[in-house]
Amino acid sequence: MNWSLNEIESLAKKAARGSGLCWGLAEEAGKATRWLCAMGYPGADMLAGLLEQNDGIAYELLRPQDTSAANWTTAGSSLCPLITGAALCDLAADLASGREITLGHTSCPLLLYPYVAAAADMTGAALSLSWPGAVLTRCQGLSFVDADTDADLLIPAAESVSVAVSAEQRGASLRRVYRGNVGAQSADKLGFFANRTYAPDTPESRLAGAGAGLSDND
Amino acid sequence: MQETQPAGAIAPRDPNVVMQLSRMGSFHQSRLSFMRILLRRLKRENWRFERHAFQIDANGVGHAVYTAHGPDHSYSLVAFAHDLPPEMRSDRVIATAWDATFTLFDGIPTDDDITRLGANIPKQEAGRVTDRELSVSRANRSVRLFEHVVSRLAAGEQPELATVNQVGYLMRTTAVYGSGKLGAADREYTADRPEFKAPFQIEMLSVYLTRAFVLDLVEYLAQARAPDTAVKIDPDLRRRFGIGNSTGLGMAPYLLNHPALISNWISARENALARVRSLPTASADAVLAFRQIAARAQLHARAWHSEHPLQIKKIAQLQSDMSRLEGHINGADLQTDYPWNRLWLWAEGALSLEGQEQLVSLLMEPYGAMVDDLADTMAADETTVYRIDGSMSVATLKELTEDIYGWALNIDWTSRSAQARVWYVSEEKLEPRLGERFEEPIEPYEQPLCPGRDAARMYADLKGFADGPVAAFLLKHPEHRHVVRRAQIAARYPYAEIRDNTIDATMLPIDLLRAKLAFFGACHFDPRSDRWVRINMFQHAPFPHEIATGNADDWTYPYLESATL
Repeated sequence: MNWSLNEIESLAKKAARGSGLCWGLAEEAGKATRWLCAMGYPGADMLAGLLEQNDGIAYELLRPQDTSAANWTTAGSSLCPLITGAALCDLAADLASGREITLGHTSCPLLLYPYVAAAADMTGAALSLSWPGAVLTRCQGLSFVDADTDADLLIPAAESVSVAVSAEQRGASLRRVYRGNVGAQSADKLGFFANRTYAPDTPESRLAGAGAGLSDND
Repeated sequence: MQETQPAGAIAPRDPNVVMQLSRMGSFHQSRLSFMRILLRRLKRENWRFERHAFQIDANGVGHAVYTAHGPDHSYSLVAFAHDLPPEMRSDRVIATAWDATFTLFDGIPTDDDITRLGANIPKQEAGRVTDRELSVSRANRSVRLFEHVVSRLAAGEQPELATVNQVGYLMRTTAVYGSGKLGAADREYTADRPEFKAPFQIEMLSVYLTRAFVLDLVEYLAQARAPDTAVKIDPDLRRRFGIGNSTGLGMAPYLLNHPALISNWISARENALARVRSLPTASADAVLAFRQIAARAQLHARAWHSEHPLQIKKIAQLQSDMSRLEGHINGADLQTDYPWNRLWLWAEGALSLEGQEQLVSLLMEPYGAMVDDLADTMAADETTVYRIDGSMSVATLKELTEDIYGWALNIDWTSRSAQARVWYVSEEKLEPRLGERFEEPIEPYEQPLCPGRDAARMYADLKGFADGPVAAFLLKHPEHRHVVRRAQIAARYPYAEIRDNTIDATMLPIDLLRAKLAFFGACHFDPRSDRWVRINMFQHAPFPHEIATGNADDWTYPYLESATL
């Protein structure tokens, strides 16, 4: 079904929170998902898969252990792109001044792109994000994508991912779109996680919580 | 962003003063309210209006299309009228059917569009729209007034003025959804159009056309009931009908979730006040205009009714403030020696918050040429403002926290009353609600709508953290990430943060609602509880067919000559 980007961001944020991320990270997960959809990619489907995979795994096992190192690894099995992306963006100034960072095994690396793009936009630097088979570059507010197939971009995990200042723009520049598609199964999954953020209703909460109770029939 | 003030100019007010809930809950509509920005544009650009369809039967069932033609785009309100049994006209939280439902369509709808919309708009949240639709809304009749007006008109008589004044509107909207809701077009999709640059212009246009439809509908139903005797409403009386709105907690979190945007709204208003206060002198014309608008505001205050004890008290204060203002300016020198600043400083000591904030609006009235351009500063690009600067030092963040959240650092957060409330979202209606932390099992579902408490928690961890970039702090403490963002936004946008406890036992959600609705341009706030308020919009405004010849901006306060009607 065809969704507005606001709907996608809103559901993605709630789902990310429902899956256990802190609010601040969930807010950015919503933005990142929206960003990918605005690029024409199935960001919401990707998020749904990621949240399902990481459900119940502690933050400490998903985050990069030492962000001062050149190679980022996690104590768990795979870096979460929502947490790692935020950590990369927090080091935007370092990246812009030429620091190169290599990530170990990372889930859904395409979800890192909105964070790297934000770092590029904040600093004015041209930054590239790459893994075997795909290079994405953000330069002067434009996104360039170089990949043989969409499958190379949408891989569920990459063994190694690089983030670095980019000297060249490879591939085609993307035009933004204003609507996104969310697969029915993904929508259900995201809805399942989002539902964890909703409090079950009671008769009392129905009346007191919203402050209604008086008749509107007058 | 705050403006640079020329030497000698009065600075905008301190956010610690402005952003108190009790003061925000006393805001009034002004020249910078969104409905006034809209009507000024419609007039300035000679917008044209036409009724494309009015296919309604004698029972009031059918659809109508009202199109507004601007310089580059046309927009159509598609209205569906229903025959709603009284028992369905229920309490808004559980409503599933309404007297009328609406969408603002981007362009002029085809018959196919009408068919598609007819299958979806009447269902509201249970329906689905596309990016051709810009808003979705619904309204219920004021049973008190609607039948009175139809029966009087059918009998060839005008409605009773006292009855009209008692209610003020024939229908009230209970939700106006915009920006991507239910599948509608995102705000970004139309944000480049000049007519939608200022906030909430889509929603205001929709409501403005809804008012025109409702008045046409009531006259049509009278005509259908008694074709031989029915009359139309006298134009002056007709303008006394606004469009009502019933707003609950759903709106409250908006102010917390859009800090940069809210800051721009309030900055515009505060800069307008500062510009007027900075005038060394005032012309005789400006003084006359001020005296007149102050007298009209007095009438407005007298015509304001509420049954809610809190609001009854506030209205009484406002009425007394307006009398005191009249007494003070009577014979006072308002022309020399920074007259408006002197008046303002007097008001700070003499008037209640209601009166002070009313005066902010009144001082802007004579100076449209000097303040109306601030309307262009009220939007915010929220697609980039959320980004965190991880290179900021922990020491700087600590200082920022002390500056912006100093009030919160002084609160004892272990006391039950300081965090008595929880903002949460209900599973059933997916809308924000407010509950009692120590009485209901809702804490696990808490929304991040208590920046003061969260800032205090962050501050406690900042104090023990070694200096260095915020990036390291955030990696260790992801639970503070949303507050770091807020603090950094508030550092750039002075009025971004409410400087008050939004989960305190004594917090009144209606203060949040009022602040937002005042920016819409609403009047006659009538709280129905501490978390639900009714308002009137566009009362006294010219109708679309009157915009070209009528007064598109000077309608918000009652006219002096009609004071005795």
